[in-house]
Amino acid sequence: MLLLAITFAGPYLPFVDRELTKITYILNEDKKPVIPPYPPSEEYIFGTDKSGRDLLSLIILGAKETILLVACITGLRYTLAIPLSFLAHKKWMGTHLFLKWLNGLLSYIPTIIIVMLLAMLPPFLLTEHRPLFLLLIIGLAEMPRAAEMIKLEFDQISSKEYIYGGIAAGASPYRLFRTYYLPFLFSKLLVYMVTDLGKVMFLLGQLGFVGIFISQDLVQSMGGDWQLVNNSISWPMMLMKAFEDIRGPIWIPFFPAFAMTCAILTFNIFAQGLKSFFTKKVRYI
Amino acid sequence: MYIFHFFLRGEAMLYSILKSAAVFLLILIGFILILLLPREQEITVFSAFHVEADYPFSFELYKERIQDFTVYIVTEKGLGDARSGRPVSEESAIFVKRSIKIILPAFMVSMLLGTLMGALQFYRRKKFSGKLQNFLSWLFSSIPDFFLFIAIQYLLILLMQQGLPYFKLYGHENWYSFLLPLISLSVFPFLHMSRFTSAALENEMGEEYVRTTYAKGLGDFKALLHMLWNCWSPILNQAQLVMLYILSSLPIIEKLAGYNGAGKELLFSITSNDEIKALSLMLPFLFIMFITIILSQIAKFWLMPKGRA
Repeated sequence: MLLLAITFAGPYLPFVDRELTKITYILNEDKKPVIPPYPPSEEYIFGTDKSGRDLLSLIILGAKETILLVACITGLRYTLAIPLSFLAHKKWMGTHLFLKWLNGLLSYIPTIIIVMLLAMLPPFLLTEHRPLFLLLIIGLAEMPRAAEMIKLEFDQISSKEYIYGGIAAGASPYRLFRTYYLPFLFSKLLVYMVTDLGKVMFLLGQLGFVGIFISQDLVQSMGGDWQLVNNSISWPMMLMKAFEDIRGPIWIPFFPAFAMTCAILTFNIFAQGLKSFFTKKVRYI
Repeated sequence: MYIFHFFLRGEAMLYSILKSAAVFLLILIGFILILLLPREQEITVFSAFHVEADYPFSFELYKERIQDFTVYIVTEKGLGDARSGRPVSEESAIFVKRSIKIILPAFMVSMLLGTLMGALQFYRRKKFSGKLQNFLSWLFSSIPDFFLFIAIQYLLILLMQQGLPYFKLYGHENWYSFLLPLISLSVFPFLHMSRFTSAALENEMGEEYVRTTYAKGLGDFKALLHMLWNCWSPILNQAQLVMLYILSSLPIIEKLAGYNGAGKELLFSITSNDEIKALSLMLPFLFIMFITIILSQIAKFWLMPKGRA
């Protein structure tokens, strides 16, 4: 019963989040002479970070940026994965072999290692469009897995009778895709995508610990060295100093990680809700 | 006739192992090629106040680096010496040994206990306790491991302030230091296995042989055993995924815990552009993945009835 309640409330949860963002639109920037990282107290429920900013407002303000990033990456991933999976399903020019090889590579090497290796490459480090490239890298890193899943769905659907009907009626491949496959894939795709939102959030969190973020600027320091400087307030960024903070003001990494956990939970509840919604529709009972 | 059959199966097994080995080699080469992409900066000093750093990136440089790398491997007959003077492989072995202490138990717990837990959950699926377990495992599998780790740390710190006896939460020196990373690392794969097993068993519910089992007068428990035996293939397929998950999360958790294992060193060597060291630490990981795949294949041939493998 509890699960059912959460399932139906699930779709509304993300909007609850968003409303909260608008209400508390104040950043508490008060720097007292006392040492800045304050532990959680009545005044600051979540405590403050090292420059004395209230963590709660920081997290709420960062939510918009973080969720936008996650949504962008997932959207990018699926806009690439859907055509690729269709081509792989059609076995067009060895796409299926390529996809298989990519998946093999990914099933051996952790995604985070690949993203780390690629994100630190000079061409991506030096361009002005670094955020864009990083979005692309993170999106691409897990794309083959998504494509493989969708390909399996394609394989399954294409063995159904009405597809033969479509072919017999002389539909072009595009039309076949648009009107014969997509309507049936749509519900599954939506569930996959929402589930992936949670996974992307997890990956961004991991990357945050390593110190790789989407919105970073490269600044030349005094020694002629290039350094990455962060100027965003998204959640993964707050985890960057976690290795130092965890030995002292542990609440600084704790609450952003907590916020991420809540977001992941919300996405998963949403996905579960969508899944039960769609399966109910098909069953007619 | 039986021996002939066995021989055929052995041949099929050998073939699939050889195929996996070839895939492993291809992936190893792919990884080295990614690792060798030029990423070092070149600093040109014009004067005391004018220093420019540049990252040259061209195909010629890439080719040169690949050549250098092969020459290095051939002349050193291995990975060569680290900056400390000891062979790189020897140094990495220390880190890898520490990490194995976490990886192996985490894998065992996830695969064995996870499957057992899944069977139990399926067995009690209609009771309240089973439903509660289902809900809880779903809830906890949504929690990322790094948060779990930080939360446990925070809780322990708060408890210690309230009077819990003090013990060291960080580092790798104490005999118990591997426990905290181990716990936070195994929760997700354990729950994943448990949920997967229970789902796989539910798929088998409508099969004819289950009815036959009951028709023979055997009880629920025997039926469950029959079903479990038919689920080995999908369950063993998960071994690779579980291992990959453990290895992906290991570096972060090790770094958070201050546990000086191979994962933490790997992160460090990648950020400091030390390719040889990164390779020497990544090789064991890749090899562990390979062994997992091979073992799960062999186990499948062993456990599965003929014709279904």
